[in-house]
Amino acid sequence: MSKSELHREIINLKQDVLDMGKLSLKMLEDSIISLNTRDLELANEVNHNKHKLREFDAHIEERALKLIALYQPMAIDLRRLATILKMITYLYRLGRYGKDIAAIVKLLTDKTPLSEMLSITHMWEHVKSLIEDSIEAFDTSEITKLKDFEERDNEIDQMRWSIFRESVSYMMEDPANITICAHIIMIARYLERCGDHACKIGEKVHYMVTGGHIEIS
Amino acid sequence: MNLKVKTKLVKEISESQNADIEKIKAGNDIIIECKNLNLWYDDNHALKDINMIVKKNKVTAIIGPSGCGKSTLIRSFNRMNDVIEGCKTEGTVEFRGRNIYGNRISAMKIRKYIGMIFQKPNPFPMSIYDNILYGPKIHRMRDKKKLETILKNSLEMAVLWDEVKDRLKDSALGLSGGQQQRLCIARTLAIEPEVILMDEPTSSLDPIATAKIEELINDLKEKYTVIIVTHNMQQAARISDYTAFMYLGELIEFGETEQIFENPQERLTENYITGRFG
Repeated sequence: MSKSELHREIINLKQDVLDMGKLSLKMLEDSIISLNTRDLELANEVNHNKHKLREFDAHIEERALKLIALYQPMAIDLRRLATILKMITYLYRLGRYGKDIAAIVKLLTDKTPLSEMLSITHMWEHVKSLIEDSIEAFDTSEITKLKDFEERDNEIDQMRWSIFRESVSYMMEDPANITICAHIIMIARYLERCGDHACKIGEKVHYMVTGGHIEIS
Repeated sequence: MNLKVKTKLVKEISESQNADIEKIKAGNDIIIECKNLNLWYDDNHALKDINMIVKKNKVTAIIGPSGCGKSTLIRSFNRMNDVIEGCKTEGTVEFRGRNIYGNRISAMKIRKYIGMIFQKPNPFPMSIYDNILYGPKIHRMRDKKKLETILKNSLEMAVLWDEVKDRLKDSALGLSGGQQQRLCIARTLAIEPEVILMDEPTSSLDPIATAKIEELINDLKEKYTVIIVTHNMQQAARISDYTAFMYLGELIEFGETEQIFENPQERLTENYITGRFG
């Protein structure tokens, strides 16, 4: 196999990572929709997608390792493969949080819908845009997109604590709210972690493009 | 990338190349330094303004596509080009601060301090014993005990002693390719050089013999300075501390090996090591 085959295969792998990113985002998005609409069927679909997500993770990892073993890539090729290997872990975690949120939806079917009041949807919009931008930066190698990541991640952290405080006050108002609010606090935590994973993707994309390491804390 | 674009890139980088060298120069452990080294084979300008340093007790690799001048450069370090007709050198190559191209320096003496290993093992058609002691003997060493110590030490250092100790009087030509190359290394070590130049020392060897030589190079740097020309970039990445990338007779990039292979600063280096040309 020649080097140009390595480059072709890296392009294919990149496309698969982008497809995996789309799936992870869809799982998260559908889980939030199902949370708001109590759509059990959609929640089940999210749960079912975990198999597809697992397949993406395993196949991309296997092919990236094979390329490293066969070609001993260097410089940008090596950095891109290293980024892909880390990125699929973050994308896998993102999709799994979608699955976790969907699992909570199933527990909430008979309860009073509170999520819309609790700003989860608003928080999700911010998290979603951060994830989309991190994946787009990977796709286009355009790192200017990463400039405000730290600020945006801080906002997401603040939203999480705001939801926490809001939930606690609902719980204090009426103990019947405790179960659902405890779940809402968990969902806010998951979304906050999703923001962190988007930042980690941003860090790796920065490494891929420049060779330098940054920390988005 | 067409030739015009490549040539333009070569010109653009000369300033940043000098900055890299200044950074590495920090410290007083430089053993060889080329300053504005130019070399011509008749009209062919084979080395163009090379400025480079070699650090003591380190392995420096020289990489680049065929015909880029890497073998010419390594041969300049011990004046092996002197024997080529029509070859003209300008600029200086300083070994421990003295220009080896100076008027009163003998090439013979230089080669005692700066030994060389070639692509194809070239043992002399004589016994293993005589191969190793050929150098010390022409440097007029007669003490038999001393010679035997040199013999054993050199072969041990080249990790060959255990394989040949019972057949030292056998012809060196009966050894395998890998053993012959290690014998040539032992023969170079016998004259106690300070620098060992290696011009693609493993390109004619099988993977096991190659691994042995690579391990040996790693051990050698405790006592010696090694400069190696190699076509195998993974080998350069594995064994060297510093790497120089050459193209069309110019030194394009010189730096710590890790940086060159993980994050080269020059587009030409990046394109070469990722297999986009060459």
